[in-house]
Amino acid sequence: MFTNLTKLDLKDKKCMSDAGSPKLCMKALPGEGAERSCAYDGARVVLMPITDVAHLVHGPIACAGNSWDNRGARSSGSQLYRRGLTTDIMENDVIYGGEIKLKKSILEIAAKHDPKAIFVYATCVSSLIGDDVDKICREAEAELTIPVISVNCPGFLGDKNIGNRIAGEVLYDRVIGTAKGSDERIPLSINLIGEYNIAGDLWGVLPDLKNLGIRLQTAITGDAKFDDLRSAHRASLNVLICSKSLTNLVRKMEIRYGIPFIEGSFYGIQDTSQTLINIAKALNDLDLLDRTLVYVKKKEEETRETIAGYKKLLENKQAILFTGGVKTWSMVSTLAELGINILAGGTQNSTPEDFQRMKKLMDPAAQIIEDTSSAGFLKIIAEKKPDLIVAGGKTKYLAHKTRTPFLDINHGRKLPYAGYQGMITFAETLTRTVLSPVWGHLKREFPPREGEQDD
Amino acid sequence: MTKQRHYDGNPQKNSPALGATLAFLGVNGLLALLHGSQGCSSFIRLQLSRHYKEPIPLNSTALLEESVIFGGWDHLKKGIAVAADKYKPQIIGVMSSGLTETYGDDMVSALVSLRTERPDLEDLPVVLASTPDYIGSMQEGYQRTVESLLMTLAGQPNKAKVLRRVDSDEAPSVALLPGCHLTPGDVDELKEIVNSFGYKVITVPDLSISLDGHAELEAAPVVQGGTLLEEFQRLPECKACFSFGLSMEKAGEFLKKTYGIPHFNIPSLTGLTATDKFLLTLAKVSGKTIPERLLRQRSRLLDTLADYHDQLGGHQIAIALEMDLLYSLGSCLVEVGSEISVALSASQGSGNTLALPFSVEVGDLETLEESAAHCDLIIANSNGRQAAGVLKVPHLRAGLPVFDRAGYPQKRWIGYEGTQQFLFDTLNLLG
Repeated sequence: MFTNLTKLDLKDKKCMSDAGSPKLCMKALPGEGAERSCAYDGARVVLMPITDVAHLVHGPIACAGNSWDNRGARSSGSQLYRRGLTTDIMENDVIYGGEIKLKKSILEIAAKHDPKAIFVYATCVSSLIGDDVDKICREAEAELTIPVISVNCPGFLGDKNIGNRIAGEVLYDRVIGTAKGSDERIPLSINLIGEYNIAGDLWGVLPDLKNLGIRLQTAITGDAKFDDLRSAHRASLNVLICSKSLTNLVRKMEIRYGIPFIEGSFYGIQDTSQTLINIAKALNDLDLLDRTLVYVKKKEEETRETIAGYKKLLENKQAILFTGGVKTWSMVSTLAELGINILAGGTQNSTPEDFQRMKKLMDPAAQIIEDTSSAGFLKIIAEKKPDLIVAGGKTKYLAHKTRTPFLDINHGRKLPYAGYQGMITFAETLTRTVLSPVWGHLKREFPPREGEQDD
Repeated sequence: MTKQRHYDGNPQKNSPALGATLAFLGVNGLLALLHGSQGCSSFIRLQLSRHYKEPIPLNSTALLEESVIFGGWDHLKKGIAVAADKYKPQIIGVMSSGLTETYGDDMVSALVSLRTERPDLEDLPVVLASTPDYIGSMQEGYQRTVESLLMTLAGQPNKAKVLRRVDSDEAPSVALLPGCHLTPGDVDELKEIVNSFGYKVITVPDLSISLDGHAELEAAPVVQGGTLLEEFQRLPECKACFSFGLSMEKAGEFLKKTYGIPHFNIPSLTGLTATDKFLLTLAKVSGKTIPERLLRQRSRLLDTLADYHDQLGGHQIAIALEMDLLYSLGSCLVEVGSEISVALSASQGSGNTLALPFSVEVGDLETLEESAAHCDLIIANSNGRQAAGVLKVPHLRAGLPVFDRAGYPQKRWIGYEGTQQFLFDTLNLLG
C-alpha cells in the first residue's frame, strides 16, 4: 500500500561520503539527536500550500494537532488550506480500525467546507492499524463530485525528503493533467516548482515575470489553486526552484507531457537574473531573450544601487550559514553579493548534489558543518565567533543565547526574500539585525568589573 | 452535547507527548527522549519553541519502517544508551508516542534489559512516561509525566552523593506541584508568595528557572535550570505539599500516601476568592499571618473591581482552553459578573468533581467558531485567531501555543496582582 520506494529514484544515488554531506541515504540513530523530521512532514510541506482544498490528516493528534497552520505559506484567495483537519485517531479507532470514521469525516468536510478537492494524509498509526486510506478515498470520491486524494506518507518511511517526493508523485498521478477542457500548450507559460510562497516570496517574483511577458501557470504549490494545478501540464516550461526533492516530478512531466525543465533560484541578484535568462532561453523565444537581457541588466543596476548602502555596512562581516534544505547554494551567492564571508556552512535536508554545489560556491577555507545537531551547531558558533548567523528558524532561539545576530531564512520568517525586491528586503533586514544596538547590551558585562566603572 | 462530527476541525488539543516534554523541561540536567518517529519530536520542538521563544532540547528514537515491523523495543534501548553516552545527562526522561503505544513497546522491560547489558547505566535515573495520544491533550501528558517523575525520583538517594545534613534552624520546605496551566511567570510569582510565608520551596517541575527566557544558556541538549535531582531526593522532608490545578491532585496525593506529607489541592490561583482560599490555607498551615504586601495587593484588586464593575459585568465570553486553565480564568470572570456562554475544553480533564459555575464541553476551535458569534470576547490560544477573524470578535490569547503576541510565557495571572492584570488585559480587549 505504500508508495513504491524504488519509484522514488533513491537507488541510483550513492551516498555521498563527504563529511557534512546530508545523510539522505543514512538512517538517523536513535538517541543521537539529529533533529530531523518525518515523511508526513515532508508531504505536508509540499501539498499544504494548495489553498482551495481541504487537508485531512488521518492520524492521532500529535500529527496535525501540533502542526496545523504553522507554516508561512501565504494565499491571495481561499484560506481553507489553513484549517487544521484531523480524524484524531483514538483508542477505539486503534482497536476497531479508523476507516468508517475517516469516510464520515471526508463526507462531512466536503459538505461543510466546499473544497475543490480533499487530500487525505496517512500517518504512522493509521498505516500500522491497517486502515486502507486509498480504498476509503476511492469510496468517498464515488459519493462526491470532487477528487479525494490519498497521500501515503506515514512518518516512519523516512525523513522529509522522502515525503517531498511522495507528494510530487501524488501531484503527478492524481492532479496534473486531470483538467477538463483544452490540453493545448500555453506559450511563454511556466510552472515554478518547489516555490511555496513562504512570506509571499512568489509575489516578489511575479512582477518581473509579468514585465517580461512570461505567464505563471501555477507554482507547485505556493498560492496554488487546485484547478490551475490540474492544468499544470499546459505550461511550456518547468522551473525547479532551489530544491531537488521534486526532481522526479519534473522528469516525469517531461516524459509524459514533453515539458522541459530547468533549475533556478530567485534568491540573490545574480541567481534571479540568471534564472530569468535561462527561462527565456528555454522558452526558445528570441524576442523574450532580448527583452530579458535588457531587463535584468536594468534591474541589477537598480537593485545594486539600492543595496549599496547596506553592502557598505555589511562588507567583510563573517557569517555562519546553516539551512534546512532549500536555497542553500543560492544563499551562498546572496551573502557574497553583500560582501559577507562565510566562515562555515552546512545543510540538513539538501540533496547531495545541492550540497556539492554549495561547497563549490563557498571559499575553500570555509568549514563544512558536520554535526548538524543543535549541539554541533553551537560548537561551531563558539569556535568561529561569527558576526552573524543565517539559518532556519529551528536554531534561532539557541543562536540568540550565543548573543550573535541571527537571520531566519526559513518558513518562520515574516518577510519575502525572493527576486530583486526580495534582495533589497533581505539586505535591509540583515543590516537591521547585524547593526541592532541590542547586541552591544547583550555583550556588556554587568555589573562592571572593578576598575571599569568609569567606562 | 454529543460529538456531532467525526473529525476535529482546528484542534485546540496538543499531543500528550508535548505535555510530557513540557514537564520534563522543568527538571535540571534531564535529557528528554521521545520514543517515536522523527516528526513526532520535530513538531513538538517547533510548537514549544514558537510559544516560549526558546530552544527546546528533545531527542528521539527516530523509528523507521523496520522498527514498525519488528517493534521499537531495541530502538528504545539503543536510544537510551546512545543518548546517555553522547550527552551524559543526569536524568533521562522517556515518553511514548501514538506509534509505539499502538504496537505496544514495553518500555519498562526495555530499561531492565538495557541495565542488564550495561551495568554502568544502573545508577542513571530514567523516568518513563506513557503518553499515547488517545489519553487526552497536553494537560494529561504533563500530568502523567509529573506523576512518573515523582514515582521514579522522589526520595531516591543518589549513591554518588552523601546525604545532606538538615540544620534544625533551616526554614521548613514545602513542595509545589504547578499544573501546565501556569506560565513560567506564574510559577515565579507563586514561589515568591509561598516564600513570603517563611517557607523554602521545592517546585516540581520548575519552569520558572528553565523556560523563563533568560539569556544564559550552555550549548547542551539537556535541560538547564529546573528542579534539581537532589531536590527530588529531599521531597520526603517537606512539611506540606500544594498541587495547583485539578490535574495535579493525583501527583500530590502520591506524596501524601508515600511520605505522609499533608497535601492541599488548589484548583485555581486566579480570582479574588481563589487567591483568598489559597492564602488562608497557607496562613493556617504555616501558622503565619498573611504578609502586608499581599493584603495591599488585595486592596488594590478590590478597588479595580469597584472601578470597572460595570465594564466587567454582563459580557458574554467564549473560552476554549485546556481544562485547568479554562476553570481558572472562567471562574474568575464569573466572579466579576461576566457570563461564560461558551466553554470548550481541549479534553475531558480529570473527571472533575467541582461544581463549575458554567457548563463545559469538549470541543475544537471549529466548534468555537460555530458557537461564539454572539460573544463579546474569545479566550483561546493563538490558533483561535481563525475563529476570531471570521466572527470579528476580540481574542484574548491564553494557553498554548501563543505565538503572535509578545510576552505570554512571562505573564502573571495568579494571585491578587496577577488577577488584576488578567482583568486589565480582558478589559482592554472588550473596549
